[in-house]
Amino acid sequence: MIEVRSLCKSFGEINAVRNVTFTAENGKVTGLLGPNGAGKSTTLRILYGLLTQDSGDALIDGVEIKSDRLLAQRKIGVLPDSHGLYIRLTAREHIHYFGRLHGIDRNLLETRTNELIRLLNMESIADRRVEGFSQGERMKVCLARSLIHDPPNVLLDEPTNGLDVMTTRTVREIILELKQRDITVLFSSHLMHEVSRLCDHIIIVSEGSIVASGSTDKIRAAAQEDNLEDAFVKLVEGVTS
Amino acid sequence: MHPIAIVLDKEFRDARRDKRSVMSAFLFPVFAPVMVYFMLTAIIELRVNAQKITIPVQGGEHAPGLIQWLEEKDVSIVDFTGDARAVVKAKDRDVIIIIPENYQQRLAELRSIEIEVVSDGSRTDSQPTVGRVHELLREYNREMASLRLIARGVSPEVMQVIVGRVTDVASKQQRTAAALNFIPLYIILSAFVAGMGIAVDSTAGERERKTLEPLLINPIERYHIVMGKWIASSLFSALGMVMTLVLCVAAMLQVPLDQIGLQFNVTAWQIVLMIVATLPLAFLATSMQMLLGIFAKSFKDAQSYIGFLTLLPVIPSLYMMFNPMATREWMFAIPMLGQHLLLVDVLGGKDVPLIGYVYSAVSCLVLGMGLVLLTARFFQKESIISN
Repeated sequence: MIEVRSLCKSFGEINAVRNVTFTAENGKVTGLLGPNGAGKSTTLRILYGLLTQDSGDALIDGVEIKSDRLLAQRKIGVLPDSHGLYIRLTAREHIHYFGRLHGIDRNLLETRTNELIRLLNMESIADRRVEGFSQGERMKVCLARSLIHDPPNVLLDEPTNGLDVMTTRTVREIILELKQRDITVLFSSHLMHEVSRLCDHIIIVSEGSIVASGSTDKIRAAAQEDNLEDAFVKLVEGVTS
Repeated sequence: MHPIAIVLDKEFRDARRDKRSVMSAFLFPVFAPVMVYFMLTAIIELRVNAQKITIPVQGGEHAPGLIQWLEEKDVSIVDFTGDARAVVKAKDRDVIIIIPENYQQRLAELRSIEIEVVSDGSRTDSQPTVGRVHELLREYNREMASLRLIARGVSPEVMQVIVGRVTDVASKQQRTAAALNFIPLYIILSAFVAGMGIAVDSTAGERERKTLEPLLINPIERYHIVMGKWIASSLFSALGMVMTLVLCVAAMLQVPLDQIGLQFNVTAWQIVLMIVATLPLAFLATSMQMLLGIFAKSFKDAQSYIGFLTLLPVIPSLYMMFNPMATREWMFAIPMLGQHLLLVDVLGGKDVPLIGYVYSAVSCLVLGMGLVLLTARFFQKESIISN
């Protein structure tokens, strides 16, 4: 479970996150929806321990990240904003590196790696160096390395951004599979259809604040629009204007 | 496995596969000794050849005694007839000796004989030959004068009021070490060259390729990451340094130094001492490069700063070359200067007090560790992931 209470973060003059409060429950998919620059990535970065909030609480399974970063980081699997890979390492070596950093022992690491390789359909590329991988193949490596330690909470920053249909489908399947295993999934996106399709709970953010949250139906009702996209635009513009 | 070991293992594996960076890291350690070998061999050959000269002589038939004496001194004599000045001016000959017709007559009269040495003072390449000719003529003059005195029952010593006697306190080995003082410089330089690729790639490169953010999400201490990268880079640097050292020594053993009166011997123990003396420098060199790598925006950016950094080790060595001063114990504590002094002393076969090794190792490691902790502090900052 991920809990965020009255979270605030500013960079100089810019208030990136203003008083954000939400909870992402176990076994549910929570979507952070908002236009570019709404504060989605900043919120996620605070949750995965790369930024520290100015005020408010951010807890992973009850652990405040600010006070015990390492313990909180053990409980999360993250697909961050940057999808950089080491071009001279193979896909398998990437997964192993992160698995080892999580302290997984050798035998379990081997089993988990093979499981993930199967799950993500990457048998044919597993032992190739990642240089020259397609966008989709790179994304699979990133996903695999973020899930290697079987985390109870998964955070995904724009997981389907720039992917082809096939890979997008794989990512969706993974998200649903995680949900079934009672894992907390929190992901950010600016794609309405993506969010409406996958999420049990939607949080719409704009300019650092939450403008609406709840189920798809609830958000449509709040904006008095039938279409989620129209609802989204209406809610976001309500803040900006 | 400890997190430091995990990062170390990954960085080492990654760097080893980077063919271009491995090439540039180990080009210097291989190329420098080869260059040293060919350069020194060429210099020695020049010097040796300067002794074996050919002198064109005009009127040699007037002084058969001098000609014979010269030939005994490894000089080949060729007869010359014509306009000596014009020929030398036209650079066809380096030097020409003209012996006057009245040589025998003046010799018999015990009067000075003028021997003309025609040379071109504006040419630097003929200087050694011309110098050698003058030296030979002076020597012949001394010998003949002594014989004349002895014939008259006078000791030749009356001609020598004072005699300078050379007492060189340096051993042959030490003189060799002083003449070869570029070897310590090369070894110190190689520490900076060999570790640079991996030190920069694992800091600036990691940021540039956007792999830093995913890495930092892992539940490990930031300074463990930095330590792992540091040790990996330092191993590369140390490897390059040991290679340079061993290959330089191997090259020196092949150079015919004995032909110019120098002598180069090295024992396995001396090589071990030199490695011990310089290894701490590997850790310092890479710590500097990593700190710069963290400041830099990209790999390219970092390389341009680090170019200047590589000049740093040259400073103490050059300073010592132009301002030689007696070694004091505190000097060992100055990074790079300490290593330079240790290497010169070990190569010269001098016994270096243990404190010299301790000072130089401790100063390098403490400074290196300090820079690494500073780098780790930058890793803690939020701005590390943004630009």
